[in-house]
Amino acid sequence: MSAIQPVLNESLGMEFVTNLLPHLINGLALGLLFALIALGFTLIVSVMEVINLAHGSLFALGAYLAMVIIDPSLQNAGPIGLWYLGLPHLLRYAIALIVAPALVAVVGFGLELCLRRTYGKKKEYGLLLTFGAALVLEEAIRLTWGPVEQFLSVPNEISGAFIANGLIYSTYRIYAAAFGIFAIVLVWLFLAKTPYGAIIKAGAHDSEMVRALGINLPRLQLLVFGLGAALAAIAGIILTPIWGLRPHVGVDAVIPAFLIIVLGGIGSFWGAVLGGLLVGMGVAITGAYASAWSLLSMYLLLILVLTFRARGLFGKKTALEA
Amino acid sequence: MLTTKGKAPIVSRQMLVFFAILLSYPLWADAAGLYEYLGIEIVIFIIYALGFNLLLGYTGLPSFGHGAYFGVGAYGYGLAQLYLDAGFIPGLLLAMLAGTMASGVVALFLSHRRGIYFALMTIAFGQVFWFLAIKLRGLTGGEDGLLNIFRPDIDFGLFQISLKSNFAFYYAVALIAVLVTLLLWRLVHSPFGMAIQAVRMNETRARFVGYQVWWIKWTVFTLSGAIAGLAGGLLNVAQESAFPDTMSLHASGLIVMMVLIGGGFVSFWGPVVGVIVYYLARDLLGSITEAWLLWYGLLFMAVMMFSPEGFAGGWGKLVAWVRRRKQSEVLMGGAQND
Repeated sequence: MSAIQPVLNESLGMEFVTNLLPHLINGLALGLLFALIALGFTLIVSVMEVINLAHGSLFALGAYLAMVIIDPSLQNAGPIGLWYLGLPHLLRYAIALIVAPALVAVVGFGLELCLRRTYGKKKEYGLLLTFGAALVLEEAIRLTWGPVEQFLSVPNEISGAFIANGLIYSTYRIYAAAFGIFAIVLVWLFLAKTPYGAIIKAGAHDSEMVRALGINLPRLQLLVFGLGAALAAIAGIILTPIWGLRPHVGVDAVIPAFLIIVLGGIGSFWGAVLGGLLVGMGVAITGAYASAWSLLSMYLLLILVLTFRARGLFGKKTALEA
Repeated sequence: MLTTKGKAPIVSRQMLVFFAILLSYPLWADAAGLYEYLGIEIVIFIIYALGFNLLLGYTGLPSFGHGAYFGVGAYGYGLAQLYLDAGFIPGLLLAMLAGTMASGVVALFLSHRRGIYFALMTIAFGQVFWFLAIKLRGLTGGEDGLLNIFRPDIDFGLFQISLKSNFAFYYAVALIAVLVTLLLWRLVHSPFGMAIQAVRMNETRARFVGYQVWWIKWTVFTLSGAIAGLAGGLLNVAQESAFPDTMSLHASGLIVMMVLIGGGFVSFWGPVVGVIVYYLARDLLGSITEAWLLWYGLLFMAVMMFSPEGFAGGWGKLVAWVRRRKQSEVLMGGAQND
């Protein structure tokens, strides 16, 4: 059922300290990870105006592919296979972190090509198409890897724990949070400082004008969708060692992503980051006092914000409301 | 496009066909390789889907959290049986009341929203209800669900009917479905029905014309929540229990899929077709392969890509094409005679 819950409870593993500070740090780390999930989601929404419900399934697919790339079950491996298995774990992890998102980006391309037929029609059709795609991907994952929980093995260099100031920190969580910051900054630099980013933002703002300027908009949309899918996969690889890897994990990932971009305002980059941090903090702090109810806080936060700010914190009016 | 003109018969031709199939189902179900319990499930979901389409198809408001009101109805019925020993009909009325109250409160927050923000708010509220159903263990039984709510007898004073047999219960559900269909058909052809379609086509313009759009949206949402509650109560009777699963995002998404795959945007009967397609797909594909959801998902994707108006839309196009073809044949024939 509520499969995120053990995750969030686990993230509160420092309960022996009644001080609020550890919860705040935890919330910050969790928030960065939430923001990482929401990143690809918000990119696709702002350029294509499609709510990609398959985002969670792409997240799960990325993690499963990474699992296979890190620990391929080669029964009678040839020399190449043996050589590959002989590589250091860290190197295989790094390869997975590049190859799996690339493969998921290809799946994203396919999905975008399907989505093309719904452009210019009711927005719900696109959303529902991605809902269908989510069903298909989840079932495909279940068929390929089975319904039981699996594990994405993490290299020793970034696992384990260390003690500082009398608190136990999980190394992997620090690594994940740092990776979250790194990815957020990288995507921001790409969007804000490169000509491609300028075109993407222009495409989100006024697609007709962009097309009139002679830019190949369909290709741009294809690439943005692929990039969004790859970001989902990266988030999956980073997060599933914490959350556990099962076919259903996608749904658990897409719902917070969803809430976060609405909270921050659809189409707003920093809104998504701030939304992620707020949700992470909210969940962690509620968890500190009433751990069973920690998940409810994010829905209530959303309802509260949307009741007073119709388009979220930084949202602007878009075609999605027409 | 889903549009109703002013005058409509109380009982239309399609409706007679639907009623005939509905009421005769137990007679030929076995011969067709189906079974009575499947019929019960299908008819309950038809009630649910017809009410849902009032919101989605007619008013154009996508709700992705409608499972909440369905589930609230199911729990409402169950609690009414367990604590009040309410009986069948009062229990169902209480289930409807529960659905009405839940959706009425939620609609207060939703009715001034549009488009995607409306959809997202419905998801958030749906999740809140789902979460409560799991967490309020004392009231709802948590993840195990509310169990052991046995089917009661319907007491008519002079005589009683036991709902223990699926046959009797099927007819109870079918009669309710007939009532709901007649009422909804009247509703969408009433002035109120015209008004909700005006809201779908152009909300701003409807407001300028003088309709109380907020009030209309609130009423439609609450009404469809009430019908969802009724259907949920019936499902509780069928399963003799209520589960939080009926309230999950997945379940709420499935009802949207059913309505759209049948063609809820173009026809009153779209939801009926969609529910039947879903359950037949589940049983037929499910008997061939375990991964039937994969194929159903692919079918759904194909429908969204190639005929987003669903089966009813495809049928409408086919009829129009045949008609055009006949006309052109008549014209050609005439030309040859000259």
